[in-house]
Amino acid sequence: MKILIVEDEKSLRESIKKYLDYQGYVCEVADDYASAREKVLSFSYDCVVVDIGLPGGSGFDIVAELKNTVSKSGIIIISAKNALDDKIRGLELGSDDYLTKPFHLSELNARIQAILRRRNFGGDKVIIFNEIKLWPDSRRVTIKEKPVELTEKEYNLLEYLIASKGWLLTKAAIAEHIWGDEYLQAGEYDFIYSHIKNLRKKLLDAGCGDYLKTIYGSGYRFSDV
Amino acid sequence: MKLLTKTTIYFLAAMVALLGFTGVYLFIRFNEGLNERSDKEMLYEELQWVNYLQSATSVNATFRLHSRDISIYPTDAPAESLASVSDAGQLPNESGIMVPYRQLRQIVGIGQVNYQIDIKKSQEQKLALVRDFTRIILVVFAGLFLATLIFNWAISRRLWRPFRQSLQKIRSTDLQKMQTVHFNETNTTEFNELNATLNLMTGKIYNDFLSMKEFTENAAHEMQTPIAVIQSKLEILLQDNNLREDQMASLIQVTEALTRLSRLNQDLLLLAKIENNQYATTVHISLRDVIRKYLVLFSELIREKHLNVTIELEDDLIVTMHESLADSLISNLLGNAIKHNFDGGSLSLKTTTESFEISNTSRREAIPKNRLFSRFHMNTASRSSSTGLGLAIVKKIIDSTNLRIRYHALGEVHTFYIEK
Repeated sequence: MKILIVEDEKSLRESIKKYLDYQGYVCEVADDYASAREKVLSFSYDCVVVDIGLPGGSGFDIVAELKNTVSKSGIIIISAKNALDDKIRGLELGSDDYLTKPFHLSELNARIQAILRRRNFGGDKVIIFNEIKLWPDSRRVTIKEKPVELTEKEYNLLEYLIASKGWLLTKAAIAEHIWGDEYLQAGEYDFIYSHIKNLRKKLLDAGCGDYLKTIYGSGYRFSDV
Repeated sequence: MKLLTKTTIYFLAAMVALLGFTGVYLFIRFNEGLNERSDKEMLYEELQWVNYLQSATSVNATFRLHSRDISIYPTDAPAESLASVSDAGQLPNESGIMVPYRQLRQIVGIGQVNYQIDIKKSQEQKLALVRDFTRIILVVFAGLFLATLIFNWAISRRLWRPFRQSLQKIRSTDLQKMQTVHFNETNTTEFNELNATLNLMTGKIYNDFLSMKEFTENAAHEMQTPIAVIQSKLEILLQDNNLREDQMASLIQVTEALTRLSRLNQDLLLLAKIENNQYATTVHISLRDVIRKYLVLFSELIREKHLNVTIELEDDLIVTMHESLADSLISNLLGNAIKHNFDGGSLSLKTTTESFEISNTSRREAIPKNRLFSRFHMNTASRSSSTGLGLAIVKKIIDSTNLRIRYHALGEVHTFYIEK
């Protein structure tokens, strides 16, 4: 899977690249409009992560450019502007998602995976992690081929944990992914503990390995190592 | 005190003094004039009598006359060259009523005989005249006085009208709409100067306001990128398996603080945007639907705290509000009602076609009125989980619509009312 990261802020670009490299993607980067344009015209990417405010042009133009080339790339806009107009404009131009800075890298990853899965028509639409199988379209889960009943929240949680496998997720990152940004308004997200606990119990009861680890009471990691 | 009242009072004082002096002066002059006239009449009468005596008493007979008003009789006293006129005090008139009299006395030599001539004249007519005159003067003065006052008032009102208009304009203008305010030319130089200064001032204030708004928005916006950098670096740092527990704990704390900072920044940005009218809309939205959405979204939190929720959402409150603002409004109010609640407390929501009411129990003290919607006013207990901007945002959103918001606390129950 090839991903192009278009972001002019060097530190952020490096972080994103580092994380996506870790997830096993092949990443290329561009730091301004001209080089980004050249890259999207010359090569084919599975997904393009593009910032709106770029030196020399707008990320929107990159999105438009990609659509002109009848590219199959998924497009995620990342912007410091949390403006509805921009979101609508981005989606109208043909981007698949819009993420407002600051965001959790794991969130970006989950969104990229969702897009790739949607775009990969011919491919297998099953997420597999050892004995766990997830069917995102029907939101079914099986463990060792036996179905497990999960609530909607628990399913979302499991999908997110698997998407970020091996990665430490803070409670805030989980709460934000499952319940949305709005939820932080309430300021507290200790309640996710009970969801984690329930999910873990259901998985263990179904004979699943104990992959869900609590890290110093501060976060969670889904890992088989 | 109004300027008009003040000028009127001064004017009044001056008028009273002036009219008083004039009145007294006129009265004295008139009185004197009347006395002079009646004295002259008596002198003339005397002259008539003297003429008569001279012609009638050619024979050596003495003349005597005693009537009520005139007495003429011979006397031995020497003749006087001048008649003496004086007040005779109160004497009865024909009807027996005591009236003031004036009298003329002179001893006149007619031939060989000296005659004492006494002429008395009732002052009754004069008094009546004086009374009439006084009445007329008072009426005229009062009329003059009143007319002057009315004129003064009317003229002042007219003259000050441009000033009043300018004042009204200033009063009804808020910062948002200051660019549309213009203070027009008048035909009074002073007001023109005032209005020109006001135009200059409002222009400057509005420009300052614009640049400040722009600055707030830009600053908040620009801050998001470095925050994003820090957050991504922290997230990568957290993945380091070699971290000690205390290092990990510190990193988590930094992450949480950063989340708050970012939140704060977004809230400030939202406030700036509302102020910049970026959410102006004519779209009607069902507040009930928004409330239902957030009740579902916050259901976990509500369950966590074992809150007793009373929901009366039979009637819908339709408001003209941007969707994002309606979301923000409800999530803030409902979020607060849950956050500040205690375990097993209660939460009630009610909509009518005209209002929305949300009340919750809390052990917190009632929010002081003056700081209710002020920015960064927060309970120490909520410092770690709140930006302190929630209610300020709520107020801003309400102010940007035609709604009103009220708050009151009764014992443990805190209630916010929103009404049309």
